[in-house]
Amino acid sequence: MSRTLVIQPVTRVEGHAKVTIQLDEAGNVSDTHVNVIELRGFEKFCVGRPVEEMPRITTRICGVCPWSHHLASGKAIDAVFGVVPSPAGRKLRELCNSIAFIEEHILHFYFLAGADFLMGPDADPSVRNVIGIIGKFPEVARRVMATRQIAARMLEIIAGKSIHPEAVVPGGFSKPLLPSERDQVRTMAGECLELARFTIDFARKNVFPQYLDTVNSLGVIETGFLGTVKENGALNLYDGNLRLMSKDGSFVDFEYDRYTDFICEHIEPWSYMKFPYDRRAGHFSMDPARPNGIYRTNSLARINVCDYFETPLAQAELEDFRKLFGRPAQLTLLYHWARLIELLYNAENVFRLIDDPDITDIETRKTVVPRAARGVGCLEAPRGTLIHDYTTDAEGILTNVNLIVGTTHNNAPINMSVRQAANASIKNGKYDQGILNRVEMAIRAYDPCFSCATHAIDSGGLVRIDIYDCSGRLIDSIAN
Amino acid sequence: MKMDQDEFEPLIVALCCYWCSYTGADLAGTSRIQYPPNIRIVRVQCSGMIHPSLVIEALTGGADGVLICGCHPGDCHYLDGNMRAKARAEAIDVMLQDFGIEAERFRLKWVSASEGARFAQVVSEMVEQVKKVGPSRFRVPGLMNAHFTKEVDHGGSTG
Amino acid sequence: MAVRLAEEWLTICGGCEVTILDVGEPLLEILAKLEIVHMPVLMDHKLYGQTGEGAQMEVPLADVGIISGGIRNKEHKHLAEEMRKKSGFLIAMGSCACYGGLPALANLSTVGDLLEKVYHESVSTESDGLPHENIPELTDRVYALDEIVPVDLKLPGCPPTPEIFVEAVSALLQNRPVNLPTKSVCDECPTVREKKVVTSLRRTLEPAEFSPGAPMNSVRCLMEQGFLCLGPATKAGCGGDGRTPRCIRAYMPCRGCFGPLADGANPMVDMTGALASVGLEPGKIPDRAATLNRFAGAQGRLRPIPPKGGVPS
Repeated sequence: MSRTLVIQPVTRVEGHAKVTIQLDEAGNVSDTHVNVIELRGFEKFCVGRPVEEMPRITTRICGVCPWSHHLASGKAIDAVFGVVPSPAGRKLRELCNSIAFIEEHILHFYFLAGADFLMGPDADPSVRNVIGIIGKFPEVARRVMATRQIAARMLEIIAGKSIHPEAVVPGGFSKPLLPSERDQVRTMAGECLELARFTIDFARKNVFPQYLDTVNSLGVIETGFLGTVKENGALNLYDGNLRLMSKDGSFVDFEYDRYTDFICEHIEPWSYMKFPYDRRAGHFSMDPARPNGIYRTNSLARINVCDYFETPLAQAELEDFRKLFGRPAQLTLLYHWARLIELLYNAENVFRLIDDPDITDIETRKTVVPRAARGVGCLEAPRGTLIHDYTTDAEGILTNVNLIVGTTHNNAPINMSVRQAANASIKNGKYDQGILNRVEMAIRAYDPCFSCATHAIDSGGLVRIDIYDCSGRLIDSIAN
Repeated sequence: MKMDQDEFEPLIVALCCYWCSYTGADLAGTSRIQYPPNIRIVRVQCSGMIHPSLVIEALTGGADGVLICGCHPGDCHYLDGNMRAKARAEAIDVMLQDFGIEAERFRLKWVSASEGARFAQVVSEMVEQVKKVGPSRFRVPGLMNAHFTKEVDHGGSTG
Repeated sequence: MAVRLAEEWLTICGGCEVTILDVGEPLLEILAKLEIVHMPVLMDHKLYGQTGEGAQMEVPLADVGIISGGIRNKEHKHLAEEMRKKSGFLIAMGSCACYGGLPALANLSTVGDLLEKVYHESVSTESDGLPHENIPELTDRVYALDEIVPVDLKLPGCPPTPEIFVEAVSALLQNRPVNLPTKSVCDECPTVREKKVVTSLRRTLEPAEFSPGAPMNSVRCLMEQGFLCLGPATKAGCGGDGRTPRCIRAYMPCRGCFGPLADGANPMVDMTGALASVGLEPGKIPDRAATLNRFAGAQGRLRPIPPKGGVPS
């Protein structure tokens, strides 16, 4: 009997989304949509604001990754003003970026997605969550809870505020780091590094081997990849060139203010969230049989596109990873593994920055003068490549704002992975909450940030469910 | 809510200071000087104690106009309260733009205790002025007949 | 006996939920006393049944309900009403739920204008674009939670501090009144106030004057330095346990994220009036509405400005 299933909300992700699964007469999957719910309209109501207020406004796009917006915004206004931050200003920003990554990757692995692996995908929903993890692994849970808070406290020491920070200003950072603060943060960084090392060891022993079948099959698709690399090909999460890699591993590098030359956006009638794709591919298709122009961002993409990591422990992990899975690695659930390698990289990177003598320099910012200009700021947010594009008038008041957010790039891939996972898991009308949870696991691997993805009124995700009968005729539409 | 300009009777709240302008209003009354009945007088100790939010609340709460009357400069019983009122009035003028309220709906005027006729004139001019801009878009039906003690429900759904 | 907790999030960013995690290890003790029956960010309870076949949205019964985020569309309104029905005690968490929050900056435009931009932009598509009746309806403006349902407790802040969250939950568990800060940010700010005169304003394009490493009580008040600071019109509490307000720690002026001093107060009106009475020409405040009511745009504080002489839609 044909029917529609609505998994709402998608849980253990940031933001609002739901999955609509269309079953045919035989009870097999005929179509799936991932509909994202939320509209706020940042690109509309930021116009008219003084540009220096943007790092303080755009953080509210997302409270899980406010630092990403804060920093991308800072880079965009530097470009608008034509200013290069002082070394201390730049390094303080990069330091905060790494600490924010640590906090968020811990959050995602242990608090959001981890329960699928640590408690099991078919576990009862009442325990398939962080509460269940606390019950089953109390000492690990205690340590994780404490370390995550330590990372937040590090940001508070450096910048005054960890969620929705205020310290990034045009030309740098508003507050220098005192030597005593640096020492405090360095000690705390040690805790973070210990947890990062523990986590990847733990996962490699107790998680990934047990779920190899799932890794090899769930949500598997083939796409290109987008990430940021330095001139020397090493990964850098704060600054660099964009590298767009194709399925076969070939790639092109370009400066990020040329992003519109490479990224194009497609619109589907059933979703207001746009679908970025590789412009060079000519046209967009997420038909599972004939995908075209599709690329992914976020952790797996970043470790695929980079040639190497500049920190030794993470580099060793990358080499192991590549021996097992090659380059580029396509299996979707490897996002989790890649995320843990990134966690390690960021924990090491904090030490590189904190031990740099420039970090306590008093000159953390340059004074700027408004002018009419356009500026682009781009960096890697935990969830993908993030672009802020501002245009101002002569007074430095915004006349136009464009934002492309990490998760948006993954819109088509998420839909494709869900389709693949649903097709593989639901057969002959047989499904239960565990099977439907596996479909959600295909989404969670991408660590999506749906609030980020629906910042804008003109590229936000509206909800519409179209119900088609098995002959493709539209029989009903549900709006939220 | 459509209202014929001819039949529109504005409701104006007049905040008058005790020492000068309220006494001036009293004098207009005892001297039998006629002035339009559209005002509701509220006595305050000093024009300088009127917080801008009172004015904004009145105007967004259904009043068609607000008039503040204080002592002439130099005559304030509290020395400089009326100067504070003047500074706040400039702030209110600016805020009205933010609320999309016509500038004509708010005035600050000086009236002394002996100026009964002037008080009447100030009120007449205000009423004429507000009649010209028409009813407030925040107007609540039946407000003209409402007693002060009756709660006016304007929360949430209007505007 | 565990206290049942349900949590929903509406027009959110997730910051209030992360603030709960910022409580750290003590959160484990609190969680042990709670039974979380619904909380999409952390656990898998679904709104339409666990296998997605339910006909209507259902939230389970709970002793305490927490809602973060304001109302931006009809589904949020529905969720808020459902949570109110099923929760014994309902908490509005964060400035969005309490006052509209930053998304309420959208109240400076009409929904018509916002949607106009949507249709205007989505021209480059194979389809004709979505028919109007199939589009999920936005509400006519962003609403705070108490404009839709009665609220038992408001925890302001963008985000609130972990201390405020702990105080609220502890008070409920111990059946005692909640003790929250009531004064203004200025009351908790250690900077030095010398003379209340402001005749011009500077933008944060230049740094405030301070001596790196010197204690905060040696720094001159940022407002007196000429930077527009919303401290006087903003509720206290952001420093957590009376510490220096968060933005001031970074030598940045307050932008009012803890909302108005009291329900019904209007920070824009309060600040403009206050600045005028200390010597500033009010017309000199740049971008008044969007700066002074940035976090409190619901409850009628931010409205679209009608065209000159016209009546707004």
